[in-house]
Amino acid sequence: MDSTQISRFSLFITFFSCILAFSFGDNSSSTDAHWLLRIKSKLVDPAGVLESWSLRAHICSWNGLTCSHDEAFVIALNLSASTLSGSIPTELWNLVSLQTLDLSLNLITGSIPPEIGRLRNLRTLLLFANNLSGKIPTEIGLLKKLQVLRIGDNMLAAQIPRSIGNLTELRVLGLAYSQLNGSIPAEIGNLKNLVFLDLQHNSLSGFIPAEIHNCEELQNFAASNNMLDGEIPASIGKLKSLQILNLANNSLSGSIPPEISGLSNLQYLNLLGNRLNGEIPWELNHLVQLQKLDLSSNNLSGTINLLNIHLQNLQVVVFSNNALTGSIPSNFCLKNSNLQQLFLAQNKLSGGFPLGLLNCSSLQQLDLSNNNLEGELPPTIDKLENLTDLLLNNNSFNGSLPPEIGNMSNLENLYLFDNMITGSIPVEIGKLQSLSTIYLYDNQMSGSIPMELTNCASLTAIDFFGNHFSGSIPETIGKLKDLVLLQLRQNDLSGPIPPSLGYCKKLQQLALADNKLSGSLPATFRFLSQLSTITLYNNSFEGPLPDSLYSLRNLKIINFSHNKFSGTILPLTGSNSLTALDLTNNSFSGSIPSRLAISTNLGRLRLANNLLNGSIPSELGRLKELIFLDLSFNNLTGEVPSQLSTCQKLQHLLLNDNHFTGKMPSWLGSLQDLGELHLSSNNFQGQVPAELGNCSRLLKLSLHTNNLSGQIPREIGQLTSLNVLNLQRNNLSGSIPPTIQQCKKLYELRLSENWLSGPIPSEIGKLTELQVILDLSRNLLSGEIPSSLGDLLKLERLNLSFNRLGGELPSSLGQLTSLVTLNLSNNHLRGQLPSTFSGFPPTSFSGNDKLCGPPLTSCMDSAGHENNILSSTAVVCIIVAIVFTSTVICLVMIYIMLRMWCNMRKVLISNSSEGGGNGIEQIKREDQERWMYGDEKKRKGEYWRVMSSMALVPSQNHDDHISSSCIFQVKMDTKKLGI
Amino acid sequence: MAPLAVISLSLCFLLPLLSPAISTNSEGNALHALRRRLSDPTNVLQSWDPTLVNPCTWFHVTCDSNNHVIRLDLGNSNISGTLGPELAQLQHLQYLELYKNDISGEIPKELGNLKNLVGLDLYGNRFEGEIPKSFSGLKSLRFLRLNNNNLTGSIPRELTALSNLKVFDVSNNDLCGTIPVDGPFGMFSMPSYANNMRLNGPELKGLVPYNFGC
Repeated sequence: MDSTQISRFSLFITFFSCILAFSFGDNSSSTDAHWLLRIKSKLVDPAGVLESWSLRAHICSWNGLTCSHDEAFVIALNLSASTLSGSIPTELWNLVSLQTLDLSLNLITGSIPPEIGRLRNLRTLLLFANNLSGKIPTEIGLLKKLQVLRIGDNMLAAQIPRSIGNLTELRVLGLAYSQLNGSIPAEIGNLKNLVFLDLQHNSLSGFIPAEIHNCEELQNFAASNNMLDGEIPASIGKLKSLQILNLANNSLSGSIPPEISGLSNLQYLNLLGNRLNGEIPWELNHLVQLQKLDLSSNNLSGTINLLNIHLQNLQVVVFSNNALTGSIPSNFCLKNSNLQQLFLAQNKLSGGFPLGLLNCSSLQQLDLSNNNLEGELPPTIDKLENLTDLLLNNNSFNGSLPPEIGNMSNLENLYLFDNMITGSIPVEIGKLQSLSTIYLYDNQMSGSIPMELTNCASLTAIDFFGNHFSGSIPETIGKLKDLVLLQLRQNDLSGPIPPSLGYCKKLQQLALADNKLSGSLPATFRFLSQLSTITLYNNSFEGPLPDSLYSLRNLKIINFSHNKFSGTILPLTGSNSLTALDLTNNSFSGSIPSRLAISTNLGRLRLANNLLNGSIPSELGRLKELIFLDLSFNNLTGEVPSQLSTCQKLQHLLLNDNHFTGKMPSWLGSLQDLGELHLSSNNFQGQVPAELGNCSRLLKLSLHTNNLSGQIPREIGQLTSLNVLNLQRNNLSGSIPPTIQQCKKLYELRLSENWLSGPIPSEIGKLTELQVILDLSRNLLSGEIPSSLGDLLKLERLNLSFNRLGGELPSSLGQLTSLVTLNLSNNHLRGQLPSTFSGFPPTSFSGNDKLCGPPLTSCMDSAGHENNILSSTAVVCIIVAIVFTSTVICLVMIYIMLRMWCNMRKVLISNSSEGGGNGIEQIKREDQERWMYGDEKKRKGEYWRVMSSMALVPSQNHDDHISSSCIFQVKMDTKKLGI
Repeated sequence: MAPLAVISLSLCFLLPLLSPAISTNSEGNALHALRRRLSDPTNVLQSWDPTLVNPCTWFHVTCDSNNHVIRLDLGNSNISGTLGPELAQLQHLQYLELYKNDISGEIPKELGNLKNLVGLDLYGNRFEGEIPKSFSGLKSLRFLRLNNNNLTGSIPRELTALSNLKVFDVSNNDLCGTIPVDGPFGMFSMPSYANNMRLNGPELKGLVPYNFGC
């Protein structure tokens, strides 16, 4: 036979065997070989694990294959972790004798096809950790012999098929880490042999089926990180074999069913991150096998009633982040406990330090942070001799740190911050050779920092921020070779920085700010090559910086502000990673080093209040990240370099109080983020650039005390966010632009000491948020004060003095009830001051032509106002008339009262004989009613006339009931008086 | 599929990774807490960086020479949300300007601890609830403008102890009861109380309870 014939023959054989395989179920190893070779051809096999698959070798020797004893069938295919990719070849479903199929830990894509149902002999199916997608086929339920099914860690979506309940032989079911949704099928309860059920990290929702209690063999049930809701079914307590129950991070609600105590073999219970409420059931004490218990991040309340004396196998207890109250029971622990980790943070636990815990000498980690615990730390705390982590922060512990803490030789992390601990650090702390982190910040501790602390050779982080430690920093601090963080900010430390600190070569963050430290920086700082943050502000450091600081190349944040450092700042420019440099308020001299520009990430450069001279280096224009540039209060000269216009992120530009010259740069208008621009107290000349109107985010604009001339640009009105505008003490001329009315958020406006002329625009009255001051004094303003200024209801200070304002003072100014200081002096104003101005001193109005009224002389004395004033004889007449009339009225009143009193007695006597009683009460009641309803309804009241006569209202209806009372006579009298 | 042994790892993350107190400053923290309560669609609070030493370089915040916050200017800034008790930590605050925004909820009673407050401008918001009685503790207060809100209840008589009060405006609210006449209230004119449908005119002590009609 030639080759074509051979190939034709083999094709025939193949075809024939196919027919056989399908029609008679014949699955001999030779047909398997055929399918396997086709499978090989379809899989991508970069590692060559299928190389041995060749007809030259016997199929039973092929890699990954296992044959039956008689070598008749392939019964197992194991290609786990073989970097295979591609989809599962359809030919695989022809290997019907397979009992084990393991393609786990590959890169296989595509879906699991329904044909998988043909592998009826499968006992183990492992497809986990691939990239399989699609759904789990219902046909999987046909694999009746299946005992192990693990297909998780894929991208399988959709629901778990109900048919999975047909796999009654199943012992292991792993479906974790996929995207399965829908609920857990109740049919899972059919799996009587199930030992291991893992559904973690899916999107399963709905209830946990109560039928799960039928899985009597279940030892391990994990369904954490799903969206399961509803309550934990009480029937779960029937799973007597259960050892691990993990339902963490779901949305389970209700309380923990007490029936859970039936899980007598449970070793691990994790319910963290649900919405469970109610108390922790006391019945949990029956779970005597329990080793790890996590109920954290729920809404559990009530007290802790779990006792380690019952649960002697407990190793880990986590109840953090609940609403547990009360104290920890005093008999919580046994001496021979196994408890290693106890986390009770973020609850509402109260009382003192739980002494009941001190018997848990096995404890390694104790976290009681963020509770309401108080009182002193017990001296016997050293009974916790195995403790490595003690977290008591954010409580209200007081008293001092017991010296016995030095006996806790395994202690690594000590967190006591945010308490009210007083006293000093005991010297015994130096015995803690394992101590790595000590956070005592935000307490009330005092005394000196003991030198013994530097014996703690493992220390990496010290934070004593916000205490009252005094004395000096221990000279031996350099012994702490592993120190990374040293934070001593906000204490009362004094003296110099010990030179040995330079030997803490791993130091990255050094914060000594807000103390009383002095002296100069030690030259040994050159060894701190890891240092990235150094904050020394608010101390009394002095002297020039050591040149060697230039070698610190990792510095990012430097804040030496508010000290007395002198000399050049060049030693601080060695790093090219600076993000913030703040040297405000020192005595640094020399020029600004252009080398600062190598730190291209520099965001904040603050050199204010120093003695710097020279000009601004143009290289600073390279600082594209610069947000804050403060060079104010120095001796800088020259023009502002135009290169700064490329610092487009600038938000704060403070160049005030220097000797800058030249024109005010127009490119300032291109800085779109600018919020604060202070160029005051320099020698800038020329006009206020109209382009400034483009800085639409500008909040504070201060250009005062320069030599600016020309008009105030009308574009100023574009600054609609502006809060403060100060242009005083310049040579500005022309009129105030009415566009200023658009600066609606102005609360402070100062234009004084210029040459501004023309009238005050009435539009200023639209600036209704003006509050701090409106100062237009010492200009050449003329015309009348616009009455609209009376709309500035919030204005507290108004100064219009030393102008040429004339005309009548508008009465609307009287509405300015918020005014605290007012100066209208030295103008040409006239007219009457509003009465509300009477409280201001006369100097507020002096130097005007014809102002009158309090506090100035009364207007009737001023000439030219006769029409408003009565003659003095008329005044005398009126006064005499008033005095006479009031005397008469008084006498009449007294008379009325006397008559009334006598009459009242009569009436009462007569009423009591009629059984009316309670006359006075009735008077009161009617009086109240009259208040509410007016007089009209009251005509029936017997005593109404009494009241009306008291009110001196004559009545025409006077003779209904009382014919001969003295009241009648009184009325007649009042009528006669004509009142 | 991860082995179950992994789950015990879930315990480990509970040990908090605490960072040291690098940035602690109470006034900055108070303002930052305020920021978290507020919605700020126009980013006026963008510059409020809590990692800075103090809030004195934040926009809309003004400090005195000792770096204490004395002014907060957030009037007309499109902010909404609520105020919280933390504002009371701004012990040196003189002016609290939060007018014409969309701030709602109650005025925190803790504001009454601001002994240096001179001006409190909360007008033009949606504040509800009562005017806190604790405002009697604002010993320096001169200007109190609460108009144009949804405030209810009566004007607390405790406010008559504010001897420096110069301006008082509660118009356009839903206050009830009568208007006090003692202390500084002798000089406030009727427009200060306008448009409070249930407010009943000056109090007449002994005749009508001050919370009459509330």
